[in-house]
Amino acid sequence: MTNRLKKIFAVVIPASTVLAGGTAWFVTRLPASSFENTGSQGEPSAQLMARGEYVSRLTDCVACHSVPGGAAYTGGLKMVTPMGAIFATNITPDRETGIGAYTLADFDRALRSGVAKDGHRLYPAMPYPSYAKLSDDDVKALYAYFMKGVPAVHLENRKSTIPWPLNMRWPLAFWNVVFAPSDVYRPDTSKDAQWNRGAYLVEGAGHCGACHTPRGLAFNEKGTDRHSAAFVSGALIDGWFAPSLRNDANTGLGRWSEDDVFRFLKTGRNDHAVVFGSMTEAFNNSTQFFSDDDLRAVAHYLKSLPGNAQRDGTPWQYEPTQAKALQPAGRQGIPGAQTYMAKCSFCHGADGRGQWEWVPPLAGAASSLVPDSSSSINVTLNGSGRVVAAGVPDSYRMPSYREQLSDRDIADVLTFVRSSWGNRGASVTAAEVKTLRKKTRPADSGVVVLKIN
Amino acid sequence: MELTINGVQHHIDVEPDTPLLWVLRDDLKMTGTKYGCGLAQCGACTVLINGNAARSCVTPVGELGSAAITTIEAIEQDEIGQRVVAAWIRHQVPQCGYCQSGQVMAATSLLKQTPHPTDDDIRAVMVNLCRCGTYNAISAAIHDLAGDVGQEGAKK
Ligand code: FES
Ligand code: FES
Repeated sequence: MTNRLKKIFAVVIPASTVLAGGTAWFVTRLPASSFENTGSQGEPSAQLMARGEYVSRLTDCVACHSVPGGAAYTGGLKMVTPMGAIFATNITPDRETGIGAYTLADFDRALRSGVAKDGHRLYPAMPYPSYAKLSDDDVKALYAYFMKGVPAVHLENRKSTIPWPLNMRWPLAFWNVVFAPSDVYRPDTSKDAQWNRGAYLVEGAGHCGACHTPRGLAFNEKGTDRHSAAFVSGALIDGWFAPSLRNDANTGLGRWSEDDVFRFLKTGRNDHAVVFGSMTEAFNNSTQFFSDDDLRAVAHYLKSLPGNAQRDGTPWQYEPTQAKALQPAGRQGIPGAQTYMAKCSFCHGADGRGQWEWVPPLAGAASSLVPDSSSSINVTLNGSGRVVAAGVPDSYRMPSYREQLSDRDIADVLTFVRSSWGNRGASVTAAEVKTLRKKTRPADSGVVVLKIN
Repeated sequence: MELTINGVQHHIDVEPDTPLLWVLRDDLKMTGTKYGCGLAQCGACTVLINGNAARSCVTPVGELGSAAITTIEAIEQDEIGQRVVAAWIRHQVPQCGYCQSGQVMAATSLLKQTPHPTDDDIRAVMVNLCRCGTYNAISAAIHDLAGDVGQEGAKK
């Protein structure tokens, strides 16, 4: 070996060893927690437990960490990713299969940094990029509740079906550096306390962006707070289009008042819409349990997020265009019109306006106006889940038309709906219906509503 | 709240989201209106609201206000309704009868809006389900009423 080569090796080998060592250290290192070395927490006060229980409603852990028929917080919910399925884990305080052995610092690292006790990185299906904004006090309260308030259940976690090498978790450490915020919520001093509380709830605890913010190529949310125009601007997730929560007149909350937003989150319905799709679960287990003050804060904050008129188009206005077409003689020539009258009109009205807050309008509905027709198709195929407000199940529910209507029928009736009464969502093709028919299942009329106390 | 049913005012004490069908059958014991599916799918619960066919299982009472509700119990007080019932008897339409209150209401509503319905009109509007398959008899009875025998009736 020449001297030159020797010299090069003398530099390269130690350098790459250091680099590899550094990488290994970085991707397996436990991130810092504000609760390092705080030791055992002892018996929590009743007040702290109550606070923790409330925070668990805000963070809606049960939404993913429970399945219908299973014990609360034992996990099992299957989440399908392009690489394979992953399953939510047991987060009851069972020492072997749950999180019973977690210290407060371990719990904090999982919750706010996405790193489990043994150092493996969690998939960002766990919304730790949002939970990162939680305050130390809320984390502490949540820990107290999970350790002492939730019954321990011994249940092994299900293995993910993602194959090697995609199932290696360490690259997520780099993902986290690029995409996951790592700081608690810092109040915007130019805004009032109510607004800041709303921002904390929407951007942090409530993790609204997990569904409502579009994701980039690396499955990262394209914006994690109010500084990004992409934040909660609407996104396709799991066969549903979660609409914009910004002031977009057509596809967002532009035509809703703060009071409308409040009522929707409190009772599951208002004159504009009724919860459906995945929002049903978010309502059943989470938003309805927010205090009125917190819901008002959420509404106040959301109504401050500007829409994007360019993307959204001119604001929708009701047009009574279809009245004539829906007369018995008129409807026969229009694809979808007869199906609309026979299957939809008895609830949603021949005028498409629904029945007050009980049956949602299709005229002017965000789902009828967004270019993506997934929600329209999905709810028609599969119906809506049970909405349980203040312990009382809903009186009116969208039935599943999967067995009654063909792909063509559904495409026609939705094209009709999406082009009537001033609506101008894109038309729907039979092929789109076919795809979603295969990918989705009828709404389960069993419902997980976690009863605390 | 107050509801005007068959010309009579009724005072009822229910939540505003209660379906009209529950009020009719359970509170007022007017059991002529039938419960089939509860999901706006079958039409057994059809009543008239201001003369238009409506499915009472998906009609929240809270917003009905002073609307005129007509049920099968009073349909013969309506001039068209009376003719419909007579035609139903003439054509011996009912089999088990379960869907027929709804069918009569739907036919009455159709004839109020379209006195001379064509086959296509009948097919478009008479979408209530009948487990016994009385559809042809229904169609014939309506044609008879329309004073126009129509193609299906003529084949008989
Ligand atoms: S009971 Fe009302 S439509 Fe079936
Ligand atoms: S007559 Fe039996 S269901 Fe119609």
